[in-house]
Amino acid sequence: MRLCQCFFIAGVLLTLSLKAQNKQILYDFNEIPQSLSVNPGVESDFKWYAGVPMLSGISGYGGSNAISINDIFANDGIDINIKFRERALDVLTPKDELSTTIQMEYLSGGFRSENPNIFYSFGGYLEFDNIGYWPQDYAYLLFDGNADQLGRRYDLGDLKVRGSLVNVFHFGINKRIDRNLTVGARGKLYSAIADYSSSTNNGHLSNVEGQNNLIATNLNADLLLRTSGLRSLRDANNDDALGNEIISRALFGGDLGLGVDLGFTYHLSERTTVTGSLLDVGFIYHSGDSKSYSLKGNTSVEGIEIDVLENFASLDRDFWQELVDEIEEVVPFETDTKGYVSFRPTKLYASIRNDFGEPVGNGGSQNCDCTAGSSGGGELRTKYRNSFGGQLYMINRPRGPQMALTGFYTRRIGNALAFKGTYTVDKFSKTNIGLGMNLQAGPVNFYVMADNLLSYNNIAATNYTSFQLGLNIISWGRK
Amino acid sequence: MKMVRILTLIMVGLLLVTSCSEEQDFDQLDDLTITPDYETSIFYVKAQETLINRVEGLDFFTQDFNFDAFEEPFFANRVLAGVLTYELENTTSKPIEIRLEFLDEAENVLDTEVFSMDPAPTAILQRDVAYGATGKSLDIIKATSEIRLTAINLGDNSSESTLQDPAIVLRSSAQFTLDIR
Repeated sequence: MRLCQCFFIAGVLLTLSLKAQNKQILYDFNEIPQSLSVNPGVESDFKWYAGVPMLSGISGYGGSNAISINDIFANDGIDINIKFRERALDVLTPKDELSTTIQMEYLSGGFRSENPNIFYSFGGYLEFDNIGYWPQDYAYLLFDGNADQLGRRYDLGDLKVRGSLVNVFHFGINKRIDRNLTVGARGKLYSAIADYSSSTNNGHLSNVEGQNNLIATNLNADLLLRTSGLRSLRDANNDDALGNEIISRALFGGDLGLGVDLGFTYHLSERTTVTGSLLDVGFIYHSGDSKSYSLKGNTSVEGIEIDVLENFASLDRDFWQELVDEIEEVVPFETDTKGYVSFRPTKLYASIRNDFGEPVGNGGSQNCDCTAGSSGGGELRTKYRNSFGGQLYMINRPRGPQMALTGFYTRRIGNALAFKGTYTVDKFSKTNIGLGMNLQAGPVNFYVMADNLLSYNNIAATNYTSFQLGLNIISWGRK
Repeated sequence: MKMVRILTLIMVGLLLVTSCSEEQDFDQLDDLTITPDYETSIFYVKAQETLINRVEGLDFFTQDFNFDAFEEPFFANRVLAGVLTYELENTTSKPIEIRLEFLDEAENVLDTEVFSMDPAPTAILQRDVAYGATGKSLDIIKATSEIRLTAINLGDNSSESTLQDPAIVLRSSAQFTLDIR
């Protein structure tokens, strides 16, 4: 497959939006250490844990609310030009998005302080985010052009795309304030490998009836593309040193930033719990290898215009070049290398949970002290076999906040096995059923989660899919 | 532990059994065509009757204009077909002939369009000239570097039209189909 095809497919799959993954199954699944990553204030009961390098947490996510791979690439005998027009060009709008997030945790661990109420966690992960919306009017300009469209305004603000590849180091503190309240905070240090953003575009392009000539082409543009790290990666790729450059930029050789995660768990009653977390409140300052491209200005062009009487003495001028120069002067295309700040996509989680059924441990299949609070040395918080509740997820996006609502049911089978089923409604799907499993085999902890299970009979036709899996070693110590 | 193993097997098995995908053919991209039509004005020339009256001889105006738009590689390498639309308006009291010659870089004449206009009052003349499969050769467009405009007064040098701001006006636009992919 040719490189351009790969880029096109990648474009179709990745272009349309930046949306970080909603980890609704992992959230408040506090048997899994990685639940700390979505709520640093989760109730934890581990003495220590260590994630298996590169396997402690891998998650991927790809989603579009309006189109699937199958819509375009199904081997169904229909001309791809017809499919593309009927299922993409004439259907998608600038509100439709395609987004991808891939996270790979390469270091993960945690240990309890001498003060049993305090638990420290640390780690690092690589995160690739891409967010884009369907650039409707750009697509029409590209596929149809502007001919015979007198008066139609092509909105140049339709282009909104943002993406980054970031290495994140984090260190967090989780503290049980009392029997009912646990809070947590995690500091993050971002080392950005690459970043690109074009999300503040404005303007329009239109053809109208000219005052002098047949057509006046109006351009009002305020376009900006900011990049960082791309030149370094390109140069390194040319020198066959791409791997070294990525590692260098990931280990503080790139653009640096700071962030914080906050979270809490609060028991309203013995069986009712509320939680909340705010993640990635942070920024990155891009300065080392930043380059910005802008096109800004306003002009109306009716071609070369010559009034012979007015220009009689200077008709030897190069009118074409003058026209080009005039356009470039009033709508300059400029580049600069000034640094810029990008903000991380901040996420908000909240949940309410009700526990019911028999307490785990009383008749469970194992008798370890693996219930929340058991390592703390304080009063034990009973864990029940069943939980149900609701979760809210929000993320800030280039076109405003986006949210998802989740209902869940958790079933614990002894202390060794737990399942969590979810039903999530968001703009991607109204039939998103997810299932997660946590298996505790002695000190070995394994979890796997998958979303949108109903789509698995034809995964290419789904608008949304995600997965998470991980492997940890956990110790609860001895009381 | 036996139950754990059973449940794990059930879950993995369920995913393996139910997870499948219809056949996808990414090579279809070879068949995707992108051939948009773009449209814009090209040039506008206005010569007032007062000027025409001042210039003696038939050719009251001859001028070569640099016009590199068609030579730009992005355009020349992708153009599939096109139509140049001309609109000529004569509000002077004279019959006028306009000659448009398309020249290459060596100033060889590639093509000529001739417009003859009766004196005012006369209707606006509109002409579409196609290039490509159904018209003239596209090579004319691709090689055009200059446009020579010649205006010939076939009348006198003294009469004046009673219309407001009498002049000969040439308007033009172009519509081209490009092969982007």
